[in-house]
Amino acid sequence: MGDILRVNMSDLSITREPLPEKWARYGGRALTDAIVFAEVPPDADPLGPENKLVIAPGSLGGTTGPNTGRLSIGAKSPLTGGIKESNSGGTAAHALARMGVSAIIIEGEPEDKLGRYVLRLFADGKVDIVHRHDLAGLGTYETVAVAKGIEAAEHRMSEKSSFILVGPSGEMGMKAAGIAVTDPAGYPNRFAGRGGLGAVMGSKGLKLIAIFYEGLGATEHADKDAFNAASKKFGAALREHAVTGQGLPTYGTNVLANIINEAGGYPTNNFALGQFEGVDGISGETMREITVERGGNVKHGCHAGCVIQCSRYYVDKDGHYKTKGPEYETAWSLGADCGISDMDAVAELDRECGDLGLDTIEMGVTLGVYMDSGKIAFGDADAAMAALKEIRKGSELGKILGDGAEATGLAFGVKRIPVVKHQGLPAYDPRPIQGIGVTYATSTMGADHTAGYTITANVLGVGGNVDPLKPEGQAELSQGLQIATAMLDSLGLCIFVAFAVLDIPAAFEAIGEMMSAHTGETWGADELMGLGKEVLTMERLYNDAAGFTAADDRLPAFFYEDKLPPHDVVFTVTDAELDSVYSFVPETAAAMGITKPGS
Amino acid sequence: MRVQLALFASLSQYLPEAAAEDRVSAHAQMVDLPDGTTVGQVITTLGLPDEPRIVFVNGRHAPDEHTLAEGDRLAIFPPVAGG
Ligand code: SF4
Repeated sequence: MGDILRVNMSDLSITREPLPEKWARYGGRALTDAIVFAEVPPDADPLGPENKLVIAPGSLGGTTGPNTGRLSIGAKSPLTGGIKESNSGGTAAHALARMGVSAIIIEGEPEDKLGRYVLRLFADGKVDIVHRHDLAGLGTYETVAVAKGIEAAEHRMSEKSSFILVGPSGEMGMKAAGIAVTDPAGYPNRFAGRGGLGAVMGSKGLKLIAIFYEGLGATEHADKDAFNAASKKFGAALREHAVTGQGLPTYGTNVLANIINEAGGYPTNNFALGQFEGVDGISGETMREITVERGGNVKHGCHAGCVIQCSRYYVDKDGHYKTKGPEYETAWSLGADCGISDMDAVAELDRECGDLGLDTIEMGVTLGVYMDSGKIAFGDADAAMAALKEIRKGSELGKILGDGAEATGLAFGVKRIPVVKHQGLPAYDPRPIQGIGVTYATSTMGADHTAGYTITANVLGVGGNVDPLKPEGQAELSQGLQIATAMLDSLGLCIFVAFAVLDIPAAFEAIGEMMSAHTGETWGADELMGLGKEVLTMERLYNDAAGFTAADDRLPAFFYEDKLPPHDVVFTVTDAELDSVYSFVPETAAAMGITKPGS
Repeated sequence: MRVQLALFASLSQYLPEAAAEDRVSAHAQMVDLPDGTTVGQVITTLGLPDEPRIVFVNGRHAPDEHTLAEGDRLAIFPPVAGG
């Protein structure tokens, strides 16, 4: 069990306190939630001094367990107005855990509103804050280059250095701003993208967190031999499953483009169509062909210890790094949703979003909405790039676009605004894939596919089969997956392990065994699922107190009214079923002894 | 009967040789099949590897016993996922 590092930006003080006993079982999303729940008033201004940014590795962070290095970042979201946990890959989670840091809490607000600060954590336990105005306004790539240069001059840089940072969009307080985390090669291309957390970090005057972890070993276990055995069992299951062992490493997440398009659920031209004529141009197969031909890297992990390795780099025609191989969500949002079918164009837009520090899902949806207004045309990649440049300038138009899909749709009078709880919908249309509609509608996070990824049973035949076109069984499917995901996010596990966990019983057992061996406490199926329920209960109670009601657990009206081709269907899951998804909350809250935030 | 056949990801290599006019896209082409052919028969004829797969006929999941009809689109994927 590690410490909490509390960084007060008002007086630039740093304190280190032991993790309170009541949170000993929490890591990752559970811990960021518990801290936000306890310390951030639900009516706080998300960009004001009362909000807190909480950064936490999962309970298994810092270990050698497969895929345990995901990072949770939480706060009250400026985009949704509710509680937020945004999850990222990259090297920071293992680094923090190895330093004995369970969570960093960034609070307060600097006196110097234009100040830019860097928080540095050193391997020997020293922590400091330095004023670094020269980083103001720099893109994420340049920020990392400049920061590396300075630290290298003072002999601090090594491969074991990790950065967490914001781009100009975060500094400008834009609601589509995410937080970047560097990958093993030092590129700032992994993102806690969703919910505008970059704006929260920016509002604290914090431009960058540098973690120097050279020489720090993996964290200790209560029972080392048992942990190693469980970890081996888990790794074997991940390698054995066809999806985690072959599909994801070979093609990356964008292998989904063709299959979601085939199912008629690939949102095209701002959710007007369910299939995209130009899908071949931006599919995972095409991306792989281009990358192999240009000599780019087609398989690596976003952090040490990932055995699935879904990451890749996209390179330009000369073989130079351009951006992370666009994920399925990104290739869709900046591609199909904008009617753009050229992979190089999508990669350019992705790089620009990454450098600005923007969430690519929110920005692609925003550009799709902007195109739907008629201001620029669907398929016009140059106009899309010009729009992103407005964000960099901070022009009036740029500020509207940078605040996301809903702000843009309202400003330009667009009828179809695909958001739930003010957050843009990801890459699956909820009309022909109804399970994901339940997740979008009810998730505490706003429209978020990862919160309960029903595409598994709805489309991919993983973890059973539930007909995507019918309303039956979707609420139950979504509920189970939302609980399981909340658990995985708390342990620091990559949610892609779920593909194996849903099909191979030994994989699920191994998670409990790793947790038991690591902590010395008993972690079986009941404890794991119980943790997932506790997480969702804190989130739900927080959102209730922040003013959300059942009316917020609905999709936008057009999903109930406009039939989507080719299946010509609307969303038909009933309100009563949507309202049943969180039926476990009162009982869990009573067992936890909590009623409202701050309690 | 004429049916559109589409194979994706690692299955693409099993697409039979096709005349230029039968090619629909990088992954799809028109094929001639005897009336009453089932999905399973196509899979056997193509010699697809014996592993789980995801099959769509006209955008809907279909079992191996499904009988194809003139003008159908049959799409087959190996186990894939993402997110
Ligand atoms: S599977 Fe992909 S997202 Fe998950 S840990 Fe590995 S590289 Fe990161």
